[in-house]
Amino acid sequence: MSKKEFNPFEMAQAQFDKVAEILQLDQATRQLLREPIREYHFSIPVRMDDGTTKVFKGFRVQHNDARGPNKGGIRFHPHETIDTVRALAMWMTWKCSVVNIPLGGGKGGVICDPHHLSAREQEQICRGWARQMAKNVGPVNDVPAPDVMTNGQHMLWILDEYETISGGKYPGFITGKPVGMGGSLGRTEATGYGVVFTFREALKEMNLKPENTTAAVQGFGNVAQYAIDLYTQLGGKVICVSSWDQKDQTSYTFRKLSGVNLQELLSITDKFGGIEKTKAKELGYEVLDGEVWIEQEVDILIPAAIENQIREDNVNKISKKVKIIVEGANGPTTPEADKVIEQRGIFVIPDFLANAGGVTCSYFEQVQSNMNYFWEKDEVLSKLDVAMTSAYRAVSELARKQKLYMRDAAYVISVKRVAQACKDRGWV
Amino acid sequence: MKDSLSKIELTYLPEFDRNFFEKDKDFTSIGKGALGGKAAGLAFIKKTLVERIKKEDFPQIDIRIPRLTVIRTDVFDAFMERNSLFDIAYSDEPDERIAHAFLNADLPAEIVGDLRFLIMGVTQPLAVRSSSLLEDAKFEPFAGVYATKMISNNEPEINERFQKLTEAIKFVYASAFFASSKNYCRGTSNSIKDEKMALVIQEVVGRKGYERFYPEISGVARSYNYYPSGRCKPEHGVVSLALGLGKTIVDGGICWSYSPVVPKCPPPFGDPQDQLKNTQREFWAVNMNRSIQYDPVNETEFLIKGSLEDADYDSMLSHSASTYISSSGKFVPGVGNDGPRLMNFAPLLGLNEYKYNDFIKVLLKTCEETFNSPVEIEFAINFNRESDILEFGFLQVRPMVVSNELVEITEAEMSGESVIASSDKSLGNGHENNITDIIFVKPELFHKKNTPLIAAELKGINRKFAGMNKEYLLIGFGRWGSTDPWLGIPVEWGDISKARVIVESTLPEMNVELSQGSHFFHNITSFGVKYLSLNYDGNYKINWNLINSQDVIEESNFIKHIRFKNPLNIKFDGRNGKGIISL
Repeated sequence: MSKKEFNPFEMAQAQFDKVAEILQLDQATRQLLREPIREYHFSIPVRMDDGTTKVFKGFRVQHNDARGPNKGGIRFHPHETIDTVRALAMWMTWKCSVVNIPLGGGKGGVICDPHHLSAREQEQICRGWARQMAKNVGPVNDVPAPDVMTNGQHMLWILDEYETISGGKYPGFITGKPVGMGGSLGRTEATGYGVVFTFREALKEMNLKPENTTAAVQGFGNVAQYAIDLYTQLGGKVICVSSWDQKDQTSYTFRKLSGVNLQELLSITDKFGGIEKTKAKELGYEVLDGEVWIEQEVDILIPAAIENQIREDNVNKISKKVKIIVEGANGPTTPEADKVIEQRGIFVIPDFLANAGGVTCSYFEQVQSNMNYFWEKDEVLSKLDVAMTSAYRAVSELARKQKLYMRDAAYVISVKRVAQACKDRGWV
Repeated sequence: MKDSLSKIELTYLPEFDRNFFEKDKDFTSIGKGALGGKAAGLAFIKKTLVERIKKEDFPQIDIRIPRLTVIRTDVFDAFMERNSLFDIAYSDEPDERIAHAFLNADLPAEIVGDLRFLIMGVTQPLAVRSSSLLEDAKFEPFAGVYATKMISNNEPEINERFQKLTEAIKFVYASAFFASSKNYCRGTSNSIKDEKMALVIQEVVGRKGYERFYPEISGVARSYNYYPSGRCKPEHGVVSLALGLGKTIVDGGICWSYSPVVPKCPPPFGDPQDQLKNTQREFWAVNMNRSIQYDPVNETEFLIKGSLEDADYDSMLSHSASTYISSSGKFVPGVGNDGPRLMNFAPLLGLNEYKYNDFIKVLLKTCEETFNSPVEIEFAINFNRESDILEFGFLQVRPMVVSNELVEITEAEMSGESVIASSDKSLGNGHENNITDIIFVKPELFHKKNTPLIAAELKGINRKFAGMNKEYLLIGFGRWGSTDPWLGIPVEWGDISKARVIVESTLPEMNVELSQGSHFFHNITSFGVKYLSLNYDGNYKINWNLINSQDVIEESNFIKHIRFKNPLNIKFDGRNGKGIISL
């Protein structure tokens, strides 16, 4: 399946329809939840450094806010589509619900390529985005965060513009802020650690000790790095990671059967964060095709890069040894591949559960920012562990009791909570 | 025994279960490293207690190791490394600075979730105890050097309880690098860099009184006694009991000591006034008041002292106190009558309630056989009123080192011109033939108000001896190691760790009940340090003329260092408590 044909929103709707059927939701609820409740499309004119003016297309999709203010990132991407944003907004709703935090789902984006924009131009886009959305976002109705190609700096520009318009200080409006500027300790680690917290619990249920397991990781971004970090601390061994090579415009798998060394790999990254293949070879890593991470003889596969990575065409390459697939990335498995995985009986921890550590910590940041009182890292990470473990256990227990596939069980829990909130509010 | 302990390290303990207080697993561990001495000792004895102490023999006693989880040494390693704490830890910064740096550090992410789960299910007081690798060593009594922090853990808010627990853990970790620990290491030829610490998080045995939580009785039992009196023999052992937390005993406070073979033996005090004066009047408890001053670098942040009246109000004395009946001028076991209470544990010991006396003997014997060595155990007792059961919390066990060298001292030897000091109240057994140096507190300049200054001077000179790896004989006045500077010189063991022989004497202006080594009992017994106590007005005296005629090597405001040309002749007979130091 090529990227052009793939429509994430259709995939998200198909997943929802399946769960709606399991839950026997009424038509009105189905209709309400399979579409965003609100969408904003707008233009952001920016005076460029060369004196010309360019107009950028911006979005904000609020999928559902029955359980609380919308929550979701803002993406800067040259190939951004409204359907991607819609799908991601819907997944945010399910993600917040599955970890039982009182937030709804949202997502935003701007079609632009920050790699070809100066800092000033990016700031203008951020401020323009805030001006367009100021009336419809805020700490009590929609709380953005960094996402693909946005970071804490972008968030601070947006926050600053919002506060200027609103005439007050509202650090709880944005999450993902730098520590010291209203950010939370532990936020950087949160998603990757959350991934490990969930599969740690899965290993316990399988009576497997982390030190007796191996893993292959796709991706070498923040999520992958912190997942490798904690998994290694628990005694596990990662034998390969795949990483995007900006220069070659392809990815490579870096394999060391004795176990990769995270610090070593971090020391040989290029300015885009990719692993340099020459230096990796010098350090004894095999540099293989980007796709081979999926074929490794390991116990755990951790796709932690981008969506649409485990597909019909490569799903059968997964080794028989693999016991768990933990989806660190959003939507890494296509529905077709998912069926195969289900049939093979591989235990899946679905994306919106496995990588919910990020949004859970964002929620903690929001709470801290609203109080203007910040917690110690021990407190943040311990709460994160408890939240992720509890969420995992609830899903796993439901899957066991009702003999559901893990993804379906996670959806059942989260959709049911959101549907109930809509019902309780008298919407449906 | 060490081999056995090693096996435990690998196999014995199940992993921590997140339903800490709901599951049967009451002895678990977090992490993968070593258990440390304290935890390994408990793990070692656990099975024995179940198998050897028969329920049918003691139907009214319920013995158990209070629920605990051990945080293994790898967590300590990760904590130190990830927070880059080694520099400050090994530095000479004050304890408070070190503690502060540790408190500001983050615990490893892999365990904080377990700790939060633990604290979510527990609202009773917890003790965070060190269980270090050096404590593991039978011949090196590190027990008591590091901090034990108790937390009340009764705040309704989970976050607050979690914070207190993590602070307590970090504080106990930090205590491995406090000045006293470093001095101690110097004195024992250990390197602080070799130390790794496991921790025991354990429920505190006790009951809640008015804003206080404490056991009705706590105790330390030793199967070997260096102070046998009357017809008792050293191998009969000795038991010390106190009301409230065991801190009273460990710190050398006033408690009730007796031989388990003659538990009903009357105390060595004459009239009732004397008895009341010389028995325990106050006790330690966990402070359950919710408005406690925040002081995370203080080991006793959550502890409070109570009086006997407080304990009486809490109905905690019925098995431990007697009451003075003024009409008869006698003490009657129990608290059935009004009147002053006396902590002589008469109901339990005199009436052998619950067959307690037999139980202690069996327990000591069992532990001794298990460890194949004399042992010291710590315990805490509560009485379950409803089921009429004595709940015996087994807190700790560790082997003791006992010298078996046969020494004969005749009465004639005890006095004479060449005798520097002698006493029939000595502690230890055997000869010392390598001591040439004496450090002594100048008697003519001694005043109670100066004891902290004297302690500081001693610390400095001890450091010099540690640097030279040389040992000395120490002479001072009042209770060595007293926490009350008006009762003696408030040194810690690390400050005098190179003292091979210690002399403790009274003076007219410091005429107190001598400690007889109680503050450093375990150190003294394990290192084989000789301890000699004598009263200035007793039969045996210090020969100051002989001491003052020697060459002075060094002199400071309050202490003097002299050296003899030849090693002193020092011998102690542990069987009758006689000790002599002569030329």
